[in-house]
Amino acid sequence: MGRLIATRLAAFVLTLFAASVVLFVTISVLPGSAAKSALGMEATPQAIARFEAQRGLDRPLVVQYGEWLTKTLSGDFGISFQNSVPVGPELVKRIPVTLELATLAFLIANLVAIPLGILAAARHTKRSDKTTTFAATLLGAVPNFWLATLLIMVFSLNLRWLPPGGFTPFFQDPIQNLKQMIMPALSLGLVSSALLIRIMRASMIEVLSSDYIRTAHAKGAAETIVIRRHALRNSLIPYMNVAAVEFGFLFGSAVVIEDIFRLPGVGSLVLVGIINRDFPVLLASALTITVFVLIVNLIVDLAVGLLDPRRITGSRA
Amino acid sequence: MTEPRPHALPGGLPTLRIRDLSIEFERRRGPPLRVVDRVSIDIWPGEIVGVIGESGSGKTLTSLATLRILPKRAGIAGGMIHLGDTPLHDRSEKDMRALRGDRIALIPQDAMQSLNPTMRIGRQVGEPLELHSGLAPHRAREAARKLLEAVHIREPEKRVQEYPHQFSGGMQQRAMIAMGLALNPQLLIADEPTTALDVTVQAQVLKLLREIRDDKGASIMFITHDLGIVAELCDWVYVMRNGQIVENGPVRRIFTAPQSDYTRMLLDATPSIHAKPLVAQ
Amino acid sequence: MNLSLRDFDWHRWRLVILGGAIIASILLCAIFAPWIAPYSPYDLDVVAMLQSPSGAHLLGTDELGRDLLSRTIYAARISMQVAFIAAGVGLVFGTLIGVAAAYFGGLVDLVLMRFMELLFSFPAILLAVVLMASLGTSILNAMIAIGIVFIPGFSRLARAATEVVLREQYVESARAIGMSHGRIVFVEILPNILAPLLVEAAVAFSYAILLESALSFLGLGAQPPEPSWGNMLNTGRGFMAQAPWLSIVPGAAIFLSVLGFNLIGDGLRDVLDPHMKE
Repeated sequence: MGRLIATRLAAFVLTLFAASVVLFVTISVLPGSAAKSALGMEATPQAIARFEAQRGLDRPLVVQYGEWLTKTLSGDFGISFQNSVPVGPELVKRIPVTLELATLAFLIANLVAIPLGILAAARHTKRSDKTTTFAATLLGAVPNFWLATLLIMVFSLNLRWLPPGGFTPFFQDPIQNLKQMIMPALSLGLVSSALLIRIMRASMIEVLSSDYIRTAHAKGAAETIVIRRHALRNSLIPYMNVAAVEFGFLFGSAVVIEDIFRLPGVGSLVLVGIINRDFPVLLASALTITVFVLIVNLIVDLAVGLLDPRRITGSRA
Repeated sequence: MTEPRPHALPGGLPTLRIRDLSIEFERRRGPPLRVVDRVSIDIWPGEIVGVIGESGSGKTLTSLATLRILPKRAGIAGGMIHLGDTPLHDRSEKDMRALRGDRIALIPQDAMQSLNPTMRIGRQVGEPLELHSGLAPHRAREAARKLLEAVHIREPEKRVQEYPHQFSGGMQQRAMIAMGLALNPQLLIADEPTTALDVTVQAQVLKLLREIRDDKGASIMFITHDLGIVAELCDWVYVMRNGQIVENGPVRRIFTAPQSDYTRMLLDATPSIHAKPLVAQ
Repeated sequence: MNLSLRDFDWHRWRLVILGGAIIASILLCAIFAPWIAPYSPYDLDVVAMLQSPSGAHLLGTDELGRDLLSRTIYAARISMQVAFIAAGVGLVFGTLIGVAAAYFGGLVDLVLMRFMELLFSFPAILLAVVLMASLGTSILNAMIAIGIVFIPGFSRLARAATEVVLREQYVESARAIGMSHGRIVFVEILPNILAPLLVEAAVAFSYAILLESALSFLGLGAQPPEPSWGNMLNTGRGFMAQAPWLSIVPGAAIFLSVLGFNLIGDGLRDVLDPHMKE
């Protein structure tokens, strides 16, 4: 078990470094000069040159990366090109927002998908299975930003139950916070659940046709016991692998959803970075989201290892 | 056709009586496919009955029908099954559950696939006790330890906590047997329990089954395609082909004077090294 | 060979047919847009702005008086173009990389696939957005960016499928008789890995439409006045109260396209799956 954790952690760190290189290289070739964006379209070539020299943008990429890496590892995320404010504090302020959004959305997705998936599998080939699968297919085709818009139109504009945007920290005013987060989380979570329902269903169907399920029946176990005690754990293993990927996808989609609901999260910071050609801001926020995704994958990987005894112990006495 | 049958009790009921059983598979297009056709099998108390046939002859389906755990598309299309005086063929699912694992136990093919990979052996082996005798899990585990001991698995206290993939093939098979024995069933259905095993391990498993019959008086339905084992272990033999019983009789007579061409063909196909002294135990 | 309509296994292909019908309709709209659309998508008519659906404008007008129906039909062109080209880019390059990795093995395999895995660990939208920032916002760049996002997925699939094929004998025999690498790939390998790649392609189409719409929605894709369902949804955001149809219609169009391709993908998967018991 210790070895499992160690190897996974090592892989995590390596991937993180590699990802930072990829992002750095991709973003540093930002055309439409960062200087013009910060200084304005009429900036003189000299002003641009000075701007770039000040920020070390004229040096070879490798050097730039090295410097960026050292600074970042010591907690310095750079200074925004746009307004010369340190990126770090802003980033840190925004992390909880995105985390809350992604976590709520993920929770909703699983709370919907797991029971419905199990139900559909248990009623395989019957009407309720076909209806559930059909509904999941439809739901899965809905763009989450469209669903967000529709939800706003119904619940904010029409019924006036929920605010159309904005963010209040949870500990400041839990009710308001939840009112503001419920629609964003639903737009992400419901569409995600569509895929997850089908994965859970497929996984459960596969497991239910296994020989060891037949053994359980042969011992006289009733359907509910078979599912709860034998099938569930085995079907969750492949499910969780897909759920991890979905969670990653949620973080990515946060970019769009945070924009719609004006949530001050890391996702909307990415957009700010792009619009303003603000290299440090974009790099830091994009990397942060990537870190979240990698962490989630790591956690799920370890969790699956815990669920599946074949991974922990060796085989054959 | 009345050959003397030592285990049959005059005026008594067989442990298992299958009469004219037919099983059909639903098809999406066309009429159902009959895979077992008017099969009749009797098993008397303490008798070890061999059901021989090639793959696809319907032997496994017949055993699943007895437990009423046929696959989804399959169903009993006719005939009767009785356990003693208890009809099984039309028994409610709830009542069947009470019998499964308790009075009839299945030892399925392929022990590795038939064990839950994420559940400890002790829990699985003791589960019949949890289900039928209402034992608490830790009590059932203790009973499982004793069961593992009974099937000659060494260091049972350690093994009880392990997972199936940590057991060797022979141990897995013996664990399945232990699972079947948990509640002292009247009838044990053993479906090809030795197919994947080395010959030496095979011998141990067969010895174990014989012990079970001798010590507990259980009846055993032994399904196999291996004629050598049948010769060694069984009292009475049914030969199946394409879903039908082709002939049946005492093991000795079947092997020395088969009446059916098919039986003769099976015997001829068996490598001669298997021709051991045909002494029914 | 006598193939009558009745002999055709409609049931087995039902999802593909349904999805295919939807996509075919949308494709037809895209191709014949100039003939089908009642107005030009660029015709401003400020007097008629933000009108709800009526006889003159079946789906209403937007904030500049342009006919929504016409814009929606023309926007299909962009979505379909981006979908096909992006999926094509992903398919071609991904397959090349995957096949090369499996075929040459060793260091090539290690380096290529590690890099693919790395790209794969970025969430698709994030990667697309960052690439767009790098390349600059235009429809062409959207195609390239989305195509790049697809490459790792296709490469993984192509590699796995090629591994299966490589274990078969006929590649060994081909090499033994001196067939060149290139010929082996095209004649022996590619035809046999086509099936799973096609299924993935259908999924890629639907995902491409989603990604393109998301990018345009964020202002990073098709730029006004070019109509794209994504940027139409974006402008609709500003008029949700007065003109809800501006938000409903483009979204519904995206939904239908995605649904159509998803159905085709699901249907193909069912048809090609050897495990299907029916």
